[in-house]
This record gives sequence, structure tokens and C-alpha cells, in this order.
Amino acid sequence: MRARSPRTLRFLAVGQVLVWSAIGLGAFLLLAKSVQNSAEFGRLQLWILLVDACAVIVLCVLLARQLWRLVRDYRAHVPGSRLTARTVAIFGVLVIAPLLIVYASSLEFINQGIDSWFKVEVKQGLNDALGLSRAALDLRMREYSERTVALAESLATGDATEIAARLEKERRATSALEIALFGAHGRILAASQENAFETLPSQPPPDLVRQVEQRVPYVSLEPQADGRYLIRTAAALPRTGASREARFVVALYPVPAQLAALSEAVQDSYSEYGNLVAMREPLKYSFRLTLTLVVLLSMLAAIYLAIYSAQRLVRPVQDLIEGTRAVGKGDFATRLPLPSRDEMGFLVHSFNDMTKRLRRARAEATASQQAVERERTRLAIILARLSTGVLAIDRSMTVRTANESAGAILGTDLSSATGRALPELASGNERLGQFVAALAVRFAAGREEWREQLDLDGSSGRRTLMCACTPLPGEDAGAGFVIVFDDITALLQAQRDAAWGEVARRLAHEIKNPLTPIQLSAERLRRRLLAGMSERDAEILERGTRTIVQQVETMQQMVNAFSEYARAPEMQITPFSLNQLVCEVADLYRSQDPRAQIRLDLDPRLESIEADRGRVRQILNNLVTNALEALDGVGSPRLEISTRLEAGGEAAYAVLSVCDNGPGFQRELLGRVFDPYVTSKPKGTGLGLAIVKKIIEEHGGRIDADNRPEGGARVRVVLPVKDSTRSATGAARERRDQLRRERA
Amino acid sequence: MLRGDPTRIGVTRARLLAILCAMGCVLWSLALANALEGVLEVRSAYVNVDKGVFLLYARIEYPQSPAISDALRDGITLTFDLDARVERDRHLWFNAGIVDLTLRRELNYHAVSDRYVVRDTKSGDQTSFATLDEALGYLGHVDAWPILVEPQLDGGNYNISVRAGVRRGHLPAAMRAILFWTDDWNRVSEWYTWSLPV
Repeated sequence: MRARSPRTLRFLAVGQVLVWSAIGLGAFLLLAKSVQNSAEFGRLQLWILLVDACAVIVLCVLLARQLWRLVRDYRAHVPGSRLTARTVAIFGVLVIAPLLIVYASSLEFINQGIDSWFKVEVKQGLNDALGLSRAALDLRMREYSERTVALAESLATGDATEIAARLEKERRATSALEIALFGAHGRILAASQENAFETLPSQPPPDLVRQVEQRVPYVSLEPQADGRYLIRTAAALPRTGASREARFVVALYPVPAQLAALSEAVQDSYSEYGNLVAMREPLKYSFRLTLTLVVLLSMLAAIYLAIYSAQRLVRPVQDLIEGTRAVGKGDFATRLPLPSRDEMGFLVHSFNDMTKRLRRARAEATASQQAVERERTRLAIILARLSTGVLAIDRSMTVRTANESAGAILGTDLSSATGRALPELASGNERLGQFVAALAVRFAAGREEWREQLDLDGSSGRRTLMCACTPLPGEDAGAGFVIVFDDITALLQAQRDAAWGEVARRLAHEIKNPLTPIQLSAERLRRRLLAGMSERDAEILERGTRTIVQQVETMQQMVNAFSEYARAPEMQITPFSLNQLVCEVADLYRSQDPRAQIRLDLDPRLESIEADRGRVRQILNNLVTNALEALDGVGSPRLEISTRLEAGGEAAYAVLSVCDNGPGFQRELLGRVFDPYVTSKPKGTGLGLAIVKKIIEEHGGRIDADNRPEGGARVRVVLPVKDSTRSATGAARERRDQLRRERA
Repeated sequence: MLRGDPTRIGVTRARLLAILCAMGCVLWSLALANALEGVLEVRSAYVNVDKGVFLLYARIEYPQSPAISDALRDGITLTFDLDARVERDRHLWFNAGIVDLTLRRELNYHAVSDRYVVRDTKSGDQTSFATLDEALGYLGHVDAWPILVEPQLDGGNYNISVRAGVRRGHLPAAMRAILFWTDDWNRVSEWYTWSLPV
């Protein structure tokens, strides 16, 4: 339902008041005009009827419309409709009940009141008075009639002069107004009047003529306009031989004024009473109809006004309900129109004030939430970009948050670990299991804040973490911990590499130089002294110098190896095919050792790489040699060399993998296989893989070693395809240049 | 909540509505029933011009019924109006009214004298008759009623209309207003119209 604005409602209300006022004023003016001039009533009654009918029709239409809307809203459970219906019902009962009582009482009053006007005694009194008047007048009429009959008989004989004298004598004797003798066709034969010079005798009425022609005496009482009464008598003259003409005498006698006045009063009363009696039933019916119409109009108007008032009363409540629903749906911009300055207006004003405050509070909360979100996003970005692992857990070791680096360091995906228990995530992950066990041990010991180095062993080797744990601040004591850890394996490895590099450099520099004089001195001693010594002594000398020379040579080899490890020759970077090089090396070893089953899996996309071909060949030789040595004693030795072209960001990398099905690396050595002097073989210097790692790092690549799940070792070498895009170029070259400078 | 058959409820409502309409029509017809039963019409009418004065002659038949006689004998006064209207034709507009006259006479029964009295309300002249027929015959003959003089006419076509009316007279105006709905003692005839010879 489309709601109307207060302005529209006010306009409609004023319009209705104007319409009703116009109808009422029009009806009143028409009624007043008809009352002032009864002649206008007949002309105006149609308009009065139309105005009243219009008023009733308009009221009925308005009321029907309002009731229909009320019923429709009630059935549709429109907010406020039930309150409106209840209010209308209460108003209706309060108005209709008194109206019905007044209506019933008024009907009874009308019936009894109007009936009391027409009592039998009044009617009887009027009839008696009428009879008395008639009796009094009849007496005179009879007397005058008899005198007229006697006069007519006396006039039967005599000439005209004599008749005129008799008429004059009779008129004077009886005080008649006029006495005339008429002949045929109303011809006046003789007459006597009070004022004979002013008027002629009045013409006899037709009924008089008809009656006297039948020789029946005529008498009538004729009321006059001035209230007088006249008695007209007539009688036919006897027909004699002298005259055969039909003659009759007519006399007009006045009724005494007092008797006439009394009779006229009786006549007036009779007439008025007759009019009243005739109007009794129409009057009662009219009063009843008028009263019914008035009551009906009052009831209709009262119901209409009740609906209108209830709607006006309920409108603010409906607005409040709709406003409350809107606020409930989150629309705090709702503002209700102020209905008035009463209590309802105060309530609406309070509602508007509340929504205003809510809107402001929500805006502030939204701003705060956005700020928090921005901070959280910034923190998440920082955590994601951190190479340091950050892990927040509660006291039950349930993950609350973890960054990508934490997952990478711990070897598991923690992006969906939030809300899950850390021990649960550790199943199947050896490194994470050791990490969780280390945490559990410390938490069980009551240590909440600590900083320690943790060594985690896994299939890919040992990882060393520098781990710091701090309890999270919070209102409750069990807020949890934040654990920050760094994988310092590479750092330690670099430190070891640097240390071994220094050792090698010193060995090459400090030990290699004295070895030659020692060897030369020992050979010289043998040459100078061997000839002059006894056989026994010569044998001792020979054995001693030979031992010295052999050991010096051994040391020489060792120093050379260290020199090889420590030296940083200028690399000859050229493009070449790694796949071809792999094939060459494989063919070489196949030819040298038929027992070797070397299988190649080469990526044809890897066309060429930019590197020092000779040193890459050295890498391949070392790795294949190590693998073949590891395969000694294996039933069906297999060696697999594969290449892959992988993309990492904007750079491309060549991945070289060398896998065997030998016993694999020893677990305790897995993290240190690239350290010098770390070897499980009885022979060798233990510098092979160290040199390989060093060459690879000089190329900006990396190497790692682990054991395959199905058994055997796997060494994985990653080299940049282009020399200009090597990620480790800066560090490697810097280190290479530094070594070069030191050597110089 | 149990509900009735909508079709049956609709039929019941329709029947109830029909009964109410029928009752309303009966009551309305009863309310409109006129006590002045009988013929009421202008039988003939014409005008004669005598020395520049238009004199109206009309023959009117008024209703005669026992109800009228009884009412008169009970003291009711009847008013007999003869309305004369002269209009000039106008094109595309209402006709112009030239004359609008009413000849009003009253008839009542004089109980003391047992006669029917006819009185001209304008002049006050009255005439009594022994019978109602004579009185109505007298009222039905209108002779030489001056309605128009020649200076009132200035060319064009003129129509003269005559209408007779009978109603219960001697009612106070306020009473007539009260009896607005129920007064069935009020009748008028159709207009008797003809062109006025100029």
C-alpha cells in the first residue's frame, strides 16, 4: 500500500471539510429560501432532494471506501489495521448505542405526541359546535324561507307597482338586503335593495333556478369573503290566470354579525382541525423518516469520522512500525514525519533521534571496522611477505593464524589450517610432528616465553629453526601463543661454507708451501745419508723417508683438493645443450662401466643454458660417480638422469635430477651432505659434493639432496637458463669476486 | 475455522439483496402513491388578443375522487394553480422567459353552510357552490385571463405553456418542509404548449 504524505492527507481533509460545508450550506440556503416563500418550495424541492441525495451518496461512497480499505487491510494483516478496526468498533459502539436509544425514544415521543394532538374530545367538541351553529342558522334559514314562500304567494296577484311596493315593504320589515322578483330567463321584474342606486340585484345561481322551476323553495347559506353570511331564499310564485309566466322571488338576508362571527370561528377551527388530522399520519411518517435519516446520517458520519480519526491516530503508529521494520533491516536512514506536537509527536521525534544516533554509531562502527580491516589486510600482507614463519595458536594448540612462510618452513600447507589442531595437521608430516612435539614439551614444562634453536629432521634433510614463543596478550589467561621461527639452515650452511672456505684457503696457503721443502728435505736426506749408512740404518732411513714422502704426497693431494675447493677460477660462460652434455657423460660412464644402467629422461624444451660447460660436466661427473659408487653391491642398480625446464617467475630454470636405487643418504648426514669431509664412503676426501655445491652456487643455482620414498637417493640441481637472470647472481658473484680479490 | 461454501454464500447474499431491493421498491412506490388520483391535464387552451391584451382561455380537467371529497369534507383546503409561461425562442441557448404567471385559487368545504367555496387568493373574491362538481367545473374554466400585453413582444417566435397543479394548501411553510418526503397531495400536469400568434 502506497502511503500518503501528511501534506496530501491534510489536503484531503480540508477538501472533505469544504465539500461537506458546501453541501450543508447549500441545503440550508435552499431550506431557508423555501421556508421564507412557500411558492419556492415546489421549485426548490428537486434541488433540495438532489443536494440531500448527493450528501447521502457521497457519504455512503466515502464510508464504503473506507470500510473496504479497512477490511482489506485487516485481512492482509497490515500493521495498524487491527488497532484501527478496534478503535472504529469502540467509537461505533459509543456513538451508535446512544443514537439508537435516542432514536427509539424519539420515535415513541413522536407517535404519542402527535396522537395527543387529535384527541376524541376535541373532535367531538368541534362537531358539537358545528352542529350548534348549523342549528342556529337553520332556524333563521327556515324562518326566512317561510317568509319568502309567503311573500311569493302574496305576490301572485297584483300589478307591477303594487308588487314593487310589497317587495319594499317586505324588505324593510325583514331587514333583507335585497328582494327581487325574476321572470323567465332571469329577467328582473321588480326589486328592492338597500342601496338601489349602486348595484342591480345579484343574479340567482343556476341551482337556485333549477330548483324553483321545480316549484321547490330554495334556501342556502352563502359565506362571504369578508366573513359575513348571507341567507339566500327563493320561491316560485303561484301561477294565476292573469300571468302564465314562471316567476320567482329571491331574497337575500344577512345573518347577524355575532352569529356569523361565531359560526365563522367554528368553521375556521373545523377547517384547521381537519387539516391537522389529515396531516397526522404524513406528519408522523415524515417525522419518523426525517428522524431516521438524521440518525442514519449521524451514524454514517460518526462511523466515517471514527474511521478517519482512527486512521489519523494510527498513522503515526503505522509509521513507527514501518520505521522499526526498516531499522530492523538495517535502514537507519528512515525518518518519520512528525504528526503533531503531542505525545505521539514526541514519540516519533524520539524515534527519529534514535535512528539518527544509530546511523551515526553505525557509520563510526563501519569506519572502525574498515580501519581494522585495513590493518588486518596490511598485517596479512606483511605476514605473507615475511620470510619468517609466524604461527598463532591457543593453549589447546589450535591454529588461529599462520602465514605462508610458516607452512613453507614446516613443509605443509597451513592456508586452511585455521581452527584446526596443530597435532592433527602434523600427522603424516615428520618435520611438523617434531615441531609440535617440541612445542608440547615446552608448554608442558610451563614455559610460555622462550627462544631456542630447534633441529627438525625430515626426508629432505635436517632443518634448523630459530624459534621464539611469546604468549599473546588478552583478557583471559588462555589467549594463546605466537611462535615466530626462521629457517636458519641455509645461514648455518653458509657459515659452515665460509668456515670451510677459510680452512681450505689457509690449508692451501699455509700447509702446501712447507710440504715441498719437507718432501725435498726428506729425499735429500735419503740421498746424502743412504749411501754411508749401514744396511739396517739405511733400511730404517729408507722406510722413514719413504713414509715422509708418501705422507707429504698424501697431504699434497689433500691440500690440492682443498685448493680446488677454495679456488674461484674465472668461469667461461657459454651457451650449450645440457641434454647433449648429459648424453655425453652418460655414454662415457656406460662405456667405462658396462654394469651401469643409466636411463635418461630429457626435456626437449630445454634447448640450451648459459653456463661454464666444463664445470657443469664436473658436476655431472661427481654426481654420477657418487651415484655409481653408492650402487656398489645393489642387485639391479639403476641410475636415472633427468632434465626439466621450469619457469620461476620471469626466469627459466634447468632442473637436473640424478636418482639411484641405492641405500640413499644416511639420515644423520642428510642435512650436511654438502659439507666438506662429510661422507659415508671409506675412501675419498669428502669434498666431492661440497665442490659440486660450490660450483652450482657460483652459477647462481642451488642443490638439494634427499631420499626417495621408494628408496634411493636423489640429488636435484637447479641452474638458471640465462646468465643474466640468475637469482643468486648477486650473492654468488659477490662471493666469487671476494674470493678472487683475496687470492690476488 | 470452518468456512461455508463460497458459491452458496454468494447465492444467499444475492437472494438477500434481491429481497431488500424489492422491499425498497415497494416502500418507495407506497411513498410515491399520490392521493390526488385521476386525470389532471389541460384539455385545451388558447389566447385571444383584445386591444393589445392577450387573454388566456383554458379548459382543465381536475381529478375527482372520493378521497378528494372526503378530504375536503374533513377540512382540507386544496390549492389549484394554473401556471402560464411565455418564452421567446433563442438559438443555441435557453429560451428567454417573458412571462411567468400563476393563477392561484383555493377550494375548501364550508362545513357550516355545507357548500364548496372557491376563493381567488390574489383578489380575495370567493364563490360558493352546492356541489363539488360545480366547484371543479368552475375551476376548470378559465376565461379571459390577461397574461401578456403587446409591448412585451419585440419580434421572434414565442411559445406559451400552460400547466395545472393541485396541492394541499393552507400548510405552513415549515410544515411543508417537514412533509417534504411524504406529501402525496401535490400533482402537476404536463405542460400544454403552443406557439403564440404574433
